[in-house]
Amino acid sequence: MFMARDKVDKKYAVEYGEPVGIIAAQSVGEPGTQMILRSFHLAGIESTISTSGLPRIIELVDAKKKPSTPITYIYLDERIGKSFDRAQEVLKKVNEVRMSNIAKRVLENFSKGKIKVILDVQELQSENLTARQVASRIEKELGKVDATVEEGGIIINMHTKNLKDIRAASIKIMKALVSGVDGAGKATIRKDDRTGEFYLVSGGSNIEGVMAVDGVDKERTTTNDVFAIYRLFGIEAARNALGNELKRTLKEQKISVEDRHLFLIADAMTASGTIKGVGRHGLSGEKKSVFARAAYEETLKHLIHAAAYGEVDPMKGVTENILVGKQIPIGTGSVKLAIKKEDLAKIKPKDAKKE
Amino acid sequence: MPSKSGHELVPVHELVSDKETKELLKTMNLDITNLPRIFSTDPQAVKLGARPGQVIRILRRFENATLPYYRVVVED
Repeated sequence: MFMARDKVDKKYAVEYGEPVGIIAAQSVGEPGTQMILRSFHLAGIESTISTSGLPRIIELVDAKKKPSTPITYIYLDERIGKSFDRAQEVLKKVNEVRMSNIAKRVLENFSKGKIKVILDVQELQSENLTARQVASRIEKELGKVDATVEEGGIIINMHTKNLKDIRAASIKIMKALVSGVDGAGKATIRKDDRTGEFYLVSGGSNIEGVMAVDGVDKERTTTNDVFAIYRLFGIEAARNALGNELKRTLKEQKISVEDRHLFLIADAMTASGTIKGVGRHGLSGEKKSVFARAAYEETLKHLIHAAAYGEVDPMKGVTENILVGKQIPIGTGSVKLAIKKEDLAKIKPKDAKKE
Repeated sequence: MPSKSGHELVPVHELVSDKETKELLKTMNLDITNLPRIFSTDPQAVKLGARPGQVIRILRRFENATLPYYRVVVED
């Protein structure tokens, strides 16, 4: 990080040559040993249980494309966020409801060319939907069919007796989106204890779709899916999201690590313009020095490759210099003696002759 | 506080002029290839209309300070 020294509190100013990466690694690594390996969950409190603890840290640091439990934090516009009822209206628009959530059974009548969908009345009511709405949704989804509401369900007249078409249609019906945002997942309302504001938490990561909904605060809505942020907002936002996620995960485990260490890791991971993991396939595997790579993993592979292709090791890093027993370029070690070529010519060999 | 960029996670990005870039690299004693990168296809780079080889200044907010960070635009 390029921190202008005069702008930052002296306490945090870093000396030239300070091995900030190693300090960050130690600062995260030591308290990290106290983290529980597999987190247990408390039953029944949260509807969306997120991965936490060490598995989550590994997920972030390895730059996994999809988090194992995507979560979107949907903040609402100022006025809506204050009232529970209005928050619930937005929830209805966001909450992803598929046919399979509200249908009890789908019965196919091949001889008549009809499909009957038996709806779960309770579920329907809790989602605030009517059978009529569902029927028109089916008509829109399939096209060229008539859906009528009858006692206990919806009858869909396919106007065809083709077996294949009817089966394909019934599968399509079950997958059809009835209301909400595609990929948003199940949403629940939460209350911020500090500000008393209501916000939504959903188990999906379609942040772009959620942001298009009326009443959603586009500025604050965020997700734990770092790659979704990267695609939508770019590398700097991804860096912030990555740092924030690391911070949040550690805080959840009641581990306190200075933010700068975590954001340094995020900086290193995003320095190439895209998000790279820190392991063998990421930062460690792309080091310039052959020795540094060989010292990490797959020793033979790197040495043989280097021998076969005549790679040159500039010997500028820490690992390779420890390996050969030279002074490491850190702190005082990073200062080298240099002389300009023209100045070298000015030195007369007079003194040498006298001896 | 409303952010200028449209989202909390996105700090303000701005293009650095070629002349300023030269001075900057001189004071930091860096080559332009040493800078962290940003793809020309990055949403923020597209917004600025940045071309490869240009430098983008990012005004990162950290606690109460605003600190500049620089990324060079590279082709994807």
